[in-house]
Amino acid sequence: MDPECSQLLPALCAVLADPRQPVADDTCLEKLLDWFKTIADAGSSLLLLQENPCLVTLLCPVLKPQDLSPRVLAFLLRLAGILAAQEDCFQHLQQGDLLPRLFGEAGPLGGAAWTAPTVRSGWIQGLCSLTQHPSALCFLAHSGAVDTIFSLQGDSSLFVASAAGQLLVHILGLSMQAPAEGHPSLQPAHWPACAQKIVGHIEESLRATATPQVTQALNVLTTMFSHCHDPWTQVLWVHLSPLVACLLEKDPVPAAHSLVDLLLSVARSPVLSSSSCGLWDTLAQTLSRLRASQAGPLALGILKLQECPKALRAQAFAVLLQPLTCVLEATTQAPGLPGSSGPGLQCGVAAIGPVASSEACAGRGGDPTDGELPLAWPPGSVGGTADAPLTAGMLLPSKAACVGLLCQTLAHLELLQPLPQRPSPWPWAPLLSAAVTILRLCNGSATPTSDTGTHLCAFLAGCVRVQRAALDFLGTLSQGTGPQELVTQVFAILLEYLTSPDSSPTVLKKAFQATLQWLQSSPKPSGGGDLEPHAQLFLRELLPVLPKRLCSPCWDVRDSGLEFLTQTVRRWGGQAGFRHALLASEVPELTEQLLRDPESYVRASAVAAMGQLSSRGLHIIPASPGHPGAQQKSLLEELLHILSTDSEGFPRRAVMQVFTQWLRDSHADVAADTEHFVARVLRVASQDLDWEVRAQGLELALVFLEQTLGQPSSSCPYAMTPPAAAPPSLVAQALQPFCRVQLFDFAFRALFDCDRPVAQKSCDLLLFLRAKTASYSDQQGSSSGPDVASLEAALQRWQAGDQGQPLGDLEPEAVVAVLRSLDLEGLRGALAESSDHAEQSPLSLLQDMLATAGILGENEADCY
Amino acid sequence: MPEIRVTPLGAGQDVGRSCILVSIGGKNVMLDCGMHMGFNDDRRFPDFSYITRNGRLTDFLDCVIISHFHLDHCGALPYFSEMVGYDGPIYMTHPTQAICPILLEDYRKIAVDKKGEANFFTSQMIKDCMKKVVAVHLHQTVQVDDELEIKAYYAGHVLGAAMFQIKVGSESVVYTGDYNMTPDRHLGAAWIDKCRPNLLITESTYATTIRDSKRCRERDFLKKVHEAVERGGKVLIPVFALGRAQELCILLETFWERMNLKAPIYFSTGLTEKANHYYKLFITWTNQKIRKTFVQRNMFEFKHIKAFDRAFADNPGPMVVFATPGMLHAGQSLQIFRKWAGNEKNMVIMPGYCVQGTVGHKILSGQRKLEMEGRQVLEVKMQVEYMSFSAHADAKGIMQLVGQAEPENVLLVHGEAKKMEFLKQKIEQEFRLLPDAKKPRLLHGTLIMKDSNFRLVSSEQALKELGLAEHQLRFTCRVHLHDPRKEQETALRVYSHLKSVLKDHCVQHLPDGSVTVESILIQAAAHSEDPGTKVLLVSWTYQDEELGSYLTSLLKKGLPQGAT
Repeated sequence: MDPECSQLLPALCAVLADPRQPVADDTCLEKLLDWFKTIADAGSSLLLLQENPCLVTLLCPVLKPQDLSPRVLAFLLRLAGILAAQEDCFQHLQQGDLLPRLFGEAGPLGGAAWTAPTVRSGWIQGLCSLTQHPSALCFLAHSGAVDTIFSLQGDSSLFVASAAGQLLVHILGLSMQAPAEGHPSLQPAHWPACAQKIVGHIEESLRATATPQVTQALNVLTTMFSHCHDPWTQVLWVHLSPLVACLLEKDPVPAAHSLVDLLLSVARSPVLSSSSCGLWDTLAQTLSRLRASQAGPLALGILKLQECPKALRAQAFAVLLQPLTCVLEATTQAPGLPGSSGPGLQCGVAAIGPVASSEACAGRGGDPTDGELPLAWPPGSVGGTADAPLTAGMLLPSKAACVGLLCQTLAHLELLQPLPQRPSPWPWAPLLSAAVTILRLCNGSATPTSDTGTHLCAFLAGCVRVQRAALDFLGTLSQGTGPQELVTQVFAILLEYLTSPDSSPTVLKKAFQATLQWLQSSPKPSGGGDLEPHAQLFLRELLPVLPKRLCSPCWDVRDSGLEFLTQTVRRWGGQAGFRHALLASEVPELTEQLLRDPESYVRASAVAAMGQLSSRGLHIIPASPGHPGAQQKSLLEELLHILSTDSEGFPRRAVMQVFTQWLRDSHADVAADTEHFVARVLRVASQDLDWEVRAQGLELALVFLEQTLGQPSSSCPYAMTPPAAAPPSLVAQALQPFCRVQLFDFAFRALFDCDRPVAQKSCDLLLFLRAKTASYSDQQGSSSGPDVASLEAALQRWQAGDQGQPLGDLEPEAVVAVLRSLDLEGLRGALAESSDHAEQSPLSLLQDMLATAGILGENEADCY
Repeated sequence: MPEIRVTPLGAGQDVGRSCILVSIGGKNVMLDCGMHMGFNDDRRFPDFSYITRNGRLTDFLDCVIISHFHLDHCGALPYFSEMVGYDGPIYMTHPTQAICPILLEDYRKIAVDKKGEANFFTSQMIKDCMKKVVAVHLHQTVQVDDELEIKAYYAGHVLGAAMFQIKVGSESVVYTGDYNMTPDRHLGAAWIDKCRPNLLITESTYATTIRDSKRCRERDFLKKVHEAVERGGKVLIPVFALGRAQELCILLETFWERMNLKAPIYFSTGLTEKANHYYKLFITWTNQKIRKTFVQRNMFEFKHIKAFDRAFADNPGPMVVFATPGMLHAGQSLQIFRKWAGNEKNMVIMPGYCVQGTVGHKILSGQRKLEMEGRQVLEVKMQVEYMSFSAHADAKGIMQLVGQAEPENVLLVHGEAKKMEFLKQKIEQEFRLLPDAKKPRLLHGTLIMKDSNFRLVSSEQALKELGLAEHQLRFTCRVHLHDPRKEQETALRVYSHLKSVLKDHCVQHLPDGSVTVESILIQAAAHSEDPGTKVLLVSWTYQDEELGSYLTSLLKKGLPQGAT
């Protein structure tokens, strides 16, 4: 421990032990415990106690818990646990009979303080910390603490109950460590007494009729099988699995959610999954016994397993797909459903899930049919038994159930699709068909006449939740391909959503995202060009829709439209058909108008979009109507105006990003007079109140430096590798442009900026520059002239916090000399530590706690 | 008895990181999603693992409701929606929706600036999170789905703060968020109708306190600032960009005007413009006095408060500077503090709470030698003052709200356990929460007779069942104008005149020739008897009563000659 902290500790302990002294706030006690834990982890706790006897004295007031506030009492219990985690320190505390009186009946347990959840939580966390060695296990056995933990599993506080379960797992794991190493196959009857007691308690809970007790037992087992993979856990599962299987015989199955978690944690355990242990049968039985909404997560979990019997995977996939199958079945009965005659839906009904066949259904990945799934699966029997096939009416009985189940299914499939262990072949086409059908049901473009279809329509019409989930899933499905006709249907439904006035802003955002994904995944036509014809056609149809979205009264719609535009221009801005359609539309003009949008987010997105349009040569400056000869303000001027005057940071930051990109790409407006451009931008950016704009200004300066002086020579841009020797006159000449654009004034001033990232960026920039000019300064020797003196004086003023006047013209020689004399590495180190280093130090914490003691008034819980 | 389960994931028996999970009638609602400013690690956010263990967040939660824009109530929102993965709807009032991203952005910038945190939510995440927000109006019943509905009530505290009623079938919960039962300089007092929820979840920050009048604190504040400025000192007031800052600006502006003071007042964040814009935009959320005087004098257009430039800190002579952040832990406020700390004539006034570790916390606890970066020691000689302007209901206010809402049960959160215990007893004593059959009660409702049955239901419910729209009350007035021109030209003249006078309002000239100013509709018609006179029909809703009266009196004075 730091001697300064050691000096302050007795005083702090006295404050904590004094019930009349309120403690500043609970975060202080948390941070104090963090600090003690760090010290204990790094060295001997016994030594810590011996060197700081005040800590032992501090623990004594716990013996009169009624005098202490619950949070201090909880703190002391946790501190005792941290210290007693080391066996010698544990013995030391035991000698003083302190631990039994802290954690036993004589302590807060059973007293008035016990009613506070904080104290119960502190008691559990203290025990959890100290249970690290055999002596602790003996202590637990003798103190009767295990019985208390059992009862705390049902605590009214969720946090206490959860912590109690975790503590039981911890104790069981520790008590099994020694015997398991010697005889892993020992049966539970021969396990240590403590472990037997816990297992007995779990068995009893699993047999209980009350669901909360069953849930507690299942949760404990889940935590255990998730974290402990020792061989004895297999023995335990064999021992307990019959009891778990018994739960499946009850109707309804109790604690279904916890049961699913347990079975999946067991299946994932490397110790257990390789052996049969009856686990696969239990999983199969569970799949068929649970309700669809409960079985979905289990099915997904099974399909995510690395190894699993094929039949079980097929069953799980069928369960996962059954809601979509029901939707397709219900809708194809409807004669009026658009597309019902199309190949997608036909394929969908017959093939969703357990597919046979068709090449059309196989995805782009060309998954080989490996016979993993049954080849023939009669329509309608998916997931149900032959006697009682599940129908839409049964599976999707009410609106709430229908919406919930469909959202869950779509999300599960979205998660599963990118995984390598997804079922093969992946039924792209039927899934596409299902997603499109659901979206049609939601927007009312489907008009089924069957009862079930009509019910589904009524449930889903206008349902934003399902629309969002279906659009997300549809976007993910762009990774594969379906038959051309289905892809056409996808673009058609996306266009419907993008056009519809009923689409909510969140749905529109998802529709834009899904559209982009589908456009990006469209295969390139064999004859060249960037987009296949139907995607091109789609974009042409979409462009007239976009203006409507850019004029939406909702800022989020305008913004999503602009984000979409930026992406499409970035991707297809060079493609002739797209360019032609875009220029023929109102989009560029409207985008320019949005530079003056009242919402700053939209202005920023408009800046990004205009930057992209201009980079692609798609920004045409219209002639002013009043004066045919005069041109309107150029985009560069417009963006500079935003950078200088916009009252909010987002648009100004967006401008800086566009300018930096333009400089990198040698945009025509920039290349015309790069120096002039850089000078103007830096002049404005250096004065900005937003530190991110200033930092981006330095980034632009760095790009300019790199373009002028060359890229860094090593992979680490600022590594101090010897630069290629350059003649002094050439270097001085090379630095002249930076002097002219006032880059050094900005960079040197930024070194002492009140915002750390700006100073860091400047430090990096100057280090780069110093590396580049190293040879020059070596040859020049020390330089001392009036310029150097004035620059050094200015640096001192800035360091002291004075702003002062700009430097004026600088000579390159003076800059190089000052660069060499500055301790940039030292400054970079200091900046890396940040002010947090001092503020969050243990010394600062102790000082703050001591300073606060006694001065707190009535309103210590004051807040914002 | 309905089962309503409440799980505080934060701010159960403490302050900070407000996040309460309510399960009611099979629906799960998260109330607030705040952060704790006192931690820099995972502990700053609520432990969402208690929700994620129930499956996908978006499937489990039906909605999230944010009560107001303070970070301890909304600071974890982008993390929750964009990093943990909640994709469902988020409800908040219109002002909260407008202001919340500013504070989140402010906080993000400070966190990245100060600690260089990389694994933190980005600007893009804040924006994407805000796109999931559904804004609600006060007293508007919002149908989240077929069964779940929510309704917002005015909470005072800060601009846009609301209490929310959550209702599923006949079961309901009211969550107060933070509220204030006494009006302050710019906001009104919280109000709720006698909704008799099954459960009222109320904050209890000042559970055992009867607070002195805010007027006293304001007087004290002005006196201290005045004294410091009079002796030639500089006054630093660290604030967060929006909220307290505007309240104190109004105070100083009025005082400067009254006392004819000349010392400059600066606001350093560059956000005043935006803040003022929002206060103007949401003027209906401020108190009656501000609304009343708004047309004559906009309280948020400051004559004496100017934008701060970094170079001004070195200027000689007295000045007052509002600078961010509010806890003196980074950026501009810390830089100015370091510059001014050594002069005993200067003063720093901390108007809010500071977390441990910050310079603000240290100076408030009386430390006068501070270790800064590079082991430099800063000696603080300037005067340090703490003035709490936080606007929470005190014990009396909490009791008053319980009396207004008449809940069956009360749950105290956002406070200290010990104080809650005391207040619990007081509430039990005074209200005896079990309904007393003999106690007379006032009922508001609509009696519906249908199929030989009588039912007393709320007015909203009755309207809903009968498929009727609420009747809107409008005031109308006729103003006679001497104008021989055609009606359309008169309307155009009215439009031009109002456009030039009411610069802060949305004045529109509609294609049908009528003119609108907010909800006020003006139409010009010919006089039946006198062709040289036009009749202006002015109509407005009761919400815009003040503006409507003002417009009428303005039009009665006639149109200027130049108005065309």
